Amino acid sequence: MPLYSAGRRRVIIALALTSALLLTLDLRGNRLFDAARSGFTVALQPFQQAAEVASTPIERLWRAYSDFDALEEENRVLRAQVDAQRSAEIAAQNAIIENQDLLALNSLESLASYDSVTARLVGQSPTNFDQQVEIDRGSIHGIRVGMSAVNEAGLVGKVTRVAPTSSVIMLVTDPSYAVQVKILSVSAEDPEQVVPGFTTTTVAAEEESFPGADQGAVREEFPIVTSTTTTVALADAVILPEVEVIRETGVLRGQGDERLPRVSFVVGNSAFGRIEIGDTVFTAGGSTSLAPPNIPVGRVANVITRAGTAGQELEIALSPDLGRLQFVRVVLYQPPTELQP
Amino acid sequence: MIGFLMNSWVARVIPIGMVLLAVQTTLLVELRPFGVSVQIVLAYVAATGAVGGVERGAIVGFTVGVMYDLAVGTPLGATAVTMALAGYVAGIGRLFRIESHWWILALQSAVGAAVGEAMVPVVRLVIGEASVSPTGLLTVVGVVAVAALMASPVLAPLGRWSLSLQRSEMKLPPEIRAEV
Repeated sequence: MPLYSAGRRRVIIALALTSALLLTLDLRGNRLFDAARSGFTVALQPFQQAAEVASTPIERLWRAYSDFDALEEENRVLRAQVDAQRSAEIAAQNAIIENQDLLALNSLESLASYDSVTARLVGQSPTNFDQQVEIDRGSIHGIRVGMSAVNEAGLVGKVTRVAPTSSVIMLVTDPSYAVQVKILSVSAEDPEQVVPGFTTTTVAAEEESFPGADQGAVREEFPIVTSTTTTVALADAVILPEVEVIRETGVLRGQGDERLPRVSFVVGNSAFGRIEIGDTVFTAGGSTSLAPPNIPVGRVANVITRAGTAGQELEIALSPDLGRLQFVRVVLYQPPTELQP
Repeated sequence: MIGFLMNSWVARVIPIGMVLLAVQTTLLVELRPFGVSVQIVLAYVAATGAVGGVERGAIVGFTVGVMYDLAVGTPLGATAVTMALAGYVAGIGRLFRIESHWWILALQSAVGAAVGEAMVPVVRLVIGEASVSPTGLLTVVGVVAVAALMASPVLAPLGRWSLSLQRSEMKLPPEIRAEV
């Protein structure tokens, strides 16, 4: 029996062409397909609910088997961390309140300026190549495509699909995810004596971006990095030396589940040498950014020096533990680039 | 028309696909051996291809793949083409064998599922969806293939039922039977 008979070839060609046609139409955006997706999601819901009820005991058994040792160890480490951070919390709370007051006083936007919707995670991506999660809040709760999702630790991702009562969030680690970020580096002669948020101020540089930059588009000739160095003399703090706040901006991109997200910069920035491991990373905001400014993203875990004119990259250790998400907060901020015409 | 549809494979494959998709999106996103999500839908397509042959495997794979794309939100046609390929590859073995032992079907299913899963990042790359890193791809493909192999004794009869195949049809393809 021949492997490629005429009938067999016709079937394969028909399927390949149909796939190509569907892909082309869908990638260009098609309302009919969107409606079909919503309809299919609704039709699948009873099956999913039944499967969830039936599979819950199995899931619990599996978790009890696979997670017990890791959880015990994590619990021990966390208890030690909680003890260590208890004292820092009081100072941090004070700094946050002062920061919010200052932002409000100067009419500057912050995360607190936007309403948000708290949602529970109800599912993860069933594929092995996407970093996505599903939440139990959707368009009837005000969620729209493009909105940022955060938790207590920081940026989690962005909303990519919305149904009436559920949404899909693309995590920061997804290779398709990109967002503008800024790296804050506080340098002083004696860093131990710097009190964050106490007497330093940061002057925001005019951000340079291009449409689509935060959606994964790359335009090499366009400078996507700015740098501002603000020096603040601490008049009353006798003990504290002069403090420098270095501010870099770049584009953070996900690298998949197993690798840390990276921030890429253009070549030849004079301030590169000053960025060090442990510097903090926040969203940069801006008119084309998918996320409002000042959401914590993580800390610099590694500075990668690439040969030639390739420039440098930063690997970022994310603040939120994306593997253990339970609840997220969707910030009801929709960037202009995602607004429906 | 309706009667024809109700008696055709479509009326069986779609409900089976819905149930398997529900299992895929609930139970199997939690149970991740070696951090890999077992692809039960892909395993079903491969098993159906193994018992039904290349055309039927490809068509069932395409149909279930479209359902998968609709449910998961991946670009419509992206999973359909990989699952069609999985069904096709799994069905190739049927062209050469005489007897369909359960372990041969299991091996065919594993190969089909492995090829289908390995094609996912390739298709995504082609359509510019994401630059999927090859890191861990071998583990993913391996786990998916082993899972398909282990699930085959259950999924192959399911695939046979969904295509309304008799056991005799499986044992000897008509073309080969004529030659013998």
